Amino acid sequence: MNDCINAEIRDQLPELVHDRLDAARRAEVLAHMEACAECRDEVALLHAVRAMFDAQTPRVDVRYVVNALPQAKPRSVPLQRRRPVWTDWRIAAAITLLVAGGSSVAVLRRDPGAAAALRQTVQSTPVLGPRARSDSSGSSAQARLAPAAPREPTPRAMVATDAQGSGIGASRLGDLTEQQLEALLGEIDQLQATPITDPEPVSLRVRESTSGAPEGA
Amino acid sequence: MNQAERGAGAGRESDDQVDAELIARWKAGDDRAATALVERHAAALARFAVASGERSEVDELVQDTFVRAFNSLQGFRGDSSFRTWLFTIERRLLLDRRRAEKRRRDRTEIQEDDAATEYDALDSVLADETQRRVRAAVERLSPTQREVFTLRVAEGLSYKEIAEAVGTTEGAARVHYHNAMRSVKEFLDE
Repeated sequence: MNDCINAEIRDQLPELVHDRLDAARRAEVLAHMEACAECRDEVALLHAVRAMFDAQTPRVDVRYVVNALPQAKPRSVPLQRRRPVWTDWRIAAAITLLVAGGSSVAVLRRDPGAAAALRQTVQSTPVLGPRARSDSSGSSAQARLAPAAPREPTPRAMVATDAQGSGIGASRLGDLTEQQLEALLGEIDQLQATPITDPEPVSLRVRESTSGAPEGA
Repeated sequence: MNQAERGAGAGRESDDQVDAELIARWKAGDDRAATALVERHAAALARFAVASGERSEVDELVQDTFVRAFNSLQGFRGDSSFRTWLFTIERRLLLDRRRAEKRRRDRTEIQEDDAATEYDALDSVLADETQRRVRAAVERLSPTQREVFTLRVAEGLSYKEIAEAVGTTEGAARVHYHNAMRSVKEFLDE
């Protein structure tokens, strides 16, 4: 049994046996077979092999197979997954922060006076952290206070500043005029004249009434 | 795809379409579609089992194949045809059985008398001399050649489908088929 030299036709002989060729291709193969003994022999062999397999194979009990199959389960529509609560809460917090921050910036830009007032408030805040408190004795503190006190310092203010031991008063005494210095000395004299002893304890004196009974009894 | 393959694809496309519709019906809850699918493909699976050397428990093998297929049918994407997919599953089950059988034989001696009786009974079914010779020719093929030859001749699968079913390339499937055909012809010419 020889092979046909037309490999393309030979390759389609199983499809011809299984009737899987379209009409045009089937007609072409059949036309070739009329003149090709090798292809006719091969088709006869293919039919014989098929018949052998069919004869050899026992019939399958379809019911036996079907009874073992799982039941069909219609696919239910999956519920829409709810977004976790914590995600909602975080989104709300982020939006609130953005709105508050944005509105503050907008107000400050619209009203320059408010910005200056805010800056002054921040600079004159008495409550300072440890680092700021230590810096207040240096020149940086002096520079920071300068714009907040544009007026010429009074002698009392100078003394008060010097009394705190910051050393600022000593450097500014030279700037005072003679009249201011005299006024300052006068005030110092008055300070020295004040008694330094503790006041005497207060004692209540109860006046005796004429009838001998205590008043208010 | 060459002209020959285009001409040969007409019947397969309609078969695949019918299978796809039946699968969709089964997924929708129609159990009768499962029966129709089994009726369409059970005989082919049984032929492949017998051609692959399965002599007994063919029903069980076909049943196992369908059970596995239907258990995975919700995830079947249709990349290959349903029939090719079934052959892939059945082939895997056959290999598992052969491994188990080999382990069993390693533990117990082969009972030659039983095997001979089985083949004698089969021979009586194959009364025709031509069929008997053809069967002998096919049995001489290597396991891979026999698988490819069976799927091509008995089921009419394309080389592409055979390659998917047996886990090889399209070109290798073509070579296996032509070598098998030449071997069968030579045996019959002796």
